[in-house]
Amino acid sequence: MSVFDILVKYYPAFLGGLWVTLQLSMIIWASGLLLGGALGIAGWRSPISVGIPSRITSFILGGIPLLVFLFWLHYPVQAMFNVVIDPFYTAAFTLGIINIFGVADIVRGALDDFPRQYLLAAKVTGLTNKQTIFRIQLPLIMRQITPSLLMLQVTMLHTTLFASLISVEEIFRVAQRINAQIYRPVEIYTALGLFFLAVCLPVNAIALTLRDKFTRNLSEQ
Amino acid sequence: MASLSATNIHKSFGEKKVLRGVDLAVEPGKITCLIGPSGSGKTTLLRAMALVDLPDKGTVKVDETTYNFPLPPEVVEVSPAPWPKVTAVFQSLFLWPHMSLRENILLPATNVNAENAEKDLAGLCKVFEMEEFIDRYPNEASGGQKQRAALARALILNPQYILLDEITSALDIEQTARILTKLGHLKERGIGVLLITHHLGFAKAMADQIVFMADGMVVESGGPPILQNPETERMKAFLHMVEAVG
Repeated sequence: MSVFDILVKYYPAFLGGLWVTLQLSMIIWASGLLLGGALGIAGWRSPISVGIPSRITSFILGGIPLLVFLFWLHYPVQAMFNVVIDPFYTAAFTLGIINIFGVADIVRGALDDFPRQYLLAAKVTGLTNKQTIFRIQLPLIMRQITPSLLMLQVTMLHTTLFASLISVEEIFRVAQRINAQIYRPVEIYTALGLFFLAVCLPVNAIALTLRDKFTRNLSEQ
Repeated sequence: MASLSATNIHKSFGEKKVLRGVDLAVEPGKITCLIGPSGSGKTTLLRAMALVDLPDKGTVKVDETTYNFPLPPEVVEVSPAPWPKVTAVFQSLFLWPHMSLRENILLPATNVNAENAEKDLAGLCKVFEMEEFIDRYPNEASGGQKQRAALARALILNPQYILLDEITSALDIEQTARILTKLGHLKERGIGVLLITHHLGFAKAMADQIVFMADGMVVESGGPPILQNPETERMKAFLHMVEAVG
């Protein structure tokens, strides 16, 4: 049985798993980019009340293996509060939290490091506040953060595989189940690898291209 | 009389007092050269007069508008904004790296004179010989090309006062001469120029006023002859050092 045969025979299951993976990714990406972006800006504007707590949280999260965090929220926390939460939501929440703080770190860092001299030049040449934000600050910051954000989102897509370990029926778990039935690991995991390559490689390539292009242009001298 | 003046300017960074009661006036159509050793407070004074790094104490007057310092605690920005009537070109040129040199010049120009911005730019391109490289990005241009673009960005705004902080420090002799020669045009256009420079030859030839600073104070000032006959020992020592290194 070839990779193609397996895909044809089990495509409803693969599609179902793919759909769960995409739903999970969408929630993680959207929450991370929106809430993480907002948290990053808030942390930059209010470094004491928001920035420092956010950095401490991010630092602590960075010290906990993702799997431990995921299992901790799935088993002990739910037992402590005597609730049962769908593992999909637990995974979305856990990975969403990781992404939010990751995005916040990137955004806050870019805002902190923004070269003030460009704002000085805007001031002495009489640019309005609106022009300074939309023509100078925003384009330069977007150039700075877009590659890092894209790469983080690819990493988050990879981490959705961990959701399979708390029984979320995402694409990796589907692949495992099919393999348990027909035992064709080479074909099945090759197909899975190709799927992730097809999604992640173009995004990574875009991120690298943007990083090469934009970070070079940021250094004026 | 119209002028850009600073009176009794004080500025400290932490414990370090960088400006200690400095007075200076720049008049329209005249070139004032600010000279002095490194760390004497020249750049801090220029930034204070450009109202971008506000002084701790003192007064800056732009023609009839007076800015007294310190500002009230709730005020963080001077008002009315003096820019671009007063503008500045800094040692690091601060050209926006995501825009071509043309866009760098045109963006602020559209606020001042949108209709004639392109025409004015064409004129400046001719004066500063920028036609060949005007569409390059800053990272694609040489130091001298960027220098000229930064100067053009300031001039297209038709400022009344232009403050220039060692704008030729990164250039070779030929490029420096080319830029400094262009400053003569500013004088003809009635623009008041404050120039921090180490080129004493230029100061001697072009300046109307020379101000020597040391240790956060104006030690000596006057016309170009003070370069030949300084009164203070401090300025004599400085000029001697400059001559010694050529």
